[in-house]
Amino acid sequence: MTKKGIKRIAGKFGGIKNLILILLAALWLLTLLVDTLVAGRIFTPLGYLYLALGIVFLIYVAWPLYTSRRLVGYYWQRVKVNRLAVVGLVFILFLILLALIGPLFTPDPTAANFEEKNTPPVGLSIEESIYNAETGQFVTKVVNGTWGHPLGTDNKGRDLLAMIISGAGVSLQVGLLATGIAVALGTFIGVASAYLGGKVDNILMRFTDIMMTFPFFLLLVFIVFIFGPSLAFIVLVIGLTGWTGVARLIRSETLSLRTREFISAAKALGASDGRIILAHLIPNVVSLIVVIATLSIPGVILAEAALSFIGLGDPAVTSWGMVLRAGQQSLDTTWWVAVAPGVMLFFTVLAFNFVGDGLRDAFDPRSSV
Amino acid sequence: MGKAWLRDYIIRRLFYAVIIAWGILTITFILVRVGPTSPADKYLANLAARGEEPAQVIAAIEARYGLDKPIHEQYFSYIGNLVRGDWGWSFSTSMPVVKLIETHWIYSFQLILFSTILAALIGILIGMYSAVRQYSKTDYIATFFSFIGISIPNFWLGVMLILLFSVKLGLFKTYYDTGIPLLSLANLKQLILPVITLSTGMMAGYTRYTRSAMLDNLRKDFVRTARAKGLPERVVIGKHVFRNAVLPLVTIIMFDLGSIVFGGAYLTEIVFGIPGLGRISFNAIFADDYAVVVAVTLISAFLILLINLATDIAYAYLDPRIRYD
Repeated sequence: MTKKGIKRIAGKFGGIKNLILILLAALWLLTLLVDTLVAGRIFTPLGYLYLALGIVFLIYVAWPLYTSRRLVGYYWQRVKVNRLAVVGLVFILFLILLALIGPLFTPDPTAANFEEKNTPPVGLSIEESIYNAETGQFVTKVVNGTWGHPLGTDNKGRDLLAMIISGAGVSLQVGLLATGIAVALGTFIGVASAYLGGKVDNILMRFTDIMMTFPFFLLLVFIVFIFGPSLAFIVLVIGLTGWTGVARLIRSETLSLRTREFISAAKALGASDGRIILAHLIPNVVSLIVVIATLSIPGVILAEAALSFIGLGDPAVTSWGMVLRAGQQSLDTTWWVAVAPGVMLFFTVLAFNFVGDGLRDAFDPRSSV
Repeated sequence: MGKAWLRDYIIRRLFYAVIIAWGILTITFILVRVGPTSPADKYLANLAARGEEPAQVIAAIEARYGLDKPIHEQYFSYIGNLVRGDWGWSFSTSMPVVKLIETHWIYSFQLILFSTILAALIGILIGMYSAVRQYSKTDYIATFFSFIGISIPNFWLGVMLILLFSVKLGLFKTYYDTGIPLLSLANLKQLILPVITLSTGMMAGYTRYTRSAMLDNLRKDFVRTARAKGLPERVVIGKHVFRNAVLPLVTIIMFDLGSIVFGGAYLTEIVFGIPGLGRISFNAIFADDYAVVVAVTLISAFLILLINLATDIAYAYLDPRIRYD
């Protein structure tokens, strides 16, 4: 095929970028189909989500960022002024590193070891009553924290640090993947609703109203209860139910963009609806999308933690909510098990809130809260 | 000013509300039907676990749930039953779901009521003060604490409060005692920790909203005019600025009630063992008691629908500037 031929075909799909997107999506669907039809997995369900979001990320985030480095530099200068946003960013990077590298240096978070149960964190010591089988009496023994278990162990002797590191991975995965799905879906519905208007707008917005009337967390509990907990499914459900707020915001932003001259110009030049949406409308709401996405991550992370906390999390992975649940059940002996996951959750949520606020101020200095 | 548009508006809102209610029922029906196990399966598994012979009751249960009928008939009977007030049978507690909810809703209600009032009062006051003294030390401290407030996971805060005040200091019981009558000081005392748990996040949110709404209005021309007229600052802030800021605030508080507070109350009840709707839904999940889980989800959604409807209509009445066409 000649270069011109490719260009012509690409033009039909709204540019070379969209052609790549469509081809990748087709490939993704094909692998998924092969995976479900043929025995033996190619990827795990989570792997598919990663792949799909990776594709969208490359085309809609990484590539535009690379091509407009000067603009990125300008915005970075403005974000940098906000100290808290930088601190938040550093913490998030630290968390990502912790989740990636941490498991290599820590023991298996699910391995119980009753010899070392109820060990307090380093620097602390507790008194424990231990039953002596020979004398038949309880003996009070002082247990000191050791560097072998820097954060101590729980009442089954599992290493708390290992559990926290495993939980960091789970929280980040859920936070990023589910937010990715929710934001992609919300953007699509919001833009389509505002741009197409009329009946489509009416139906989509009524549907959004219905979804918004369900209390988010109770709907999550309901669906996970019916379909059973697995991490990939929880990610999918949070993504498929959490798009409503995004859709509303993007819709109102698009409504004001729709009447602008460059859209009329594109229409006059004969651009298709698909091309106008993908090449003109979405790039113009990207800064809003980035802010919404960053500020949605905390809610998603908390939703997953709350699900695990009430016992509806994936039992196969150790998440912060699950550790907190275990900690609450033995609050009078191993209180540190309840403290650690909450502290991590708190700082993670705080960090994303700081970064989100910093980004919003950088993109739009008028709307500072 | 004719009231005809208002009547039309209310009729249209009611019409939308009916559509949304229908959507809620349909979505829950589809979810339960599409789910890998049907309510009857779980019921049968439960019977089998108790050593009873499922084959004997299988027909009765299928008839009870209408599972032997075609799907559209099931759908209509599902909606019909709910509308008639037959919300199903909770087998884990051996009573009708409606009865179960009648005995438990008050515990959720008191928690949400006290928390919302406390959060709105304190949040709005701090927010107002913060906005009037923008960039003062108090403002910075308030902003900092509101950041902490919205970031702290409320179920963890609850566990920490129990750890500190109940386990370590022994000031409160670790569990909610249903033996205490609702209208008593002892009940108020045991609600202190749950109310703090639920209201902290809300309070922080309201502080932020109030502050930004007040700041928006403080910059408006009519405020400058009011000051130029020589009105005392108290009147300018209280009448001109606050009254204009308060309506959007009410909407946000009502909206929060649906999206955040119900979820927060669910978790708070679980942490403190308060036997409200959240707690019975939580117990039902582990007893595989379908009817209760469905009912609690539906009730919360319908409550939110009503609250939103009431807010919208009240808003149209109260704010003469608003016209919906």
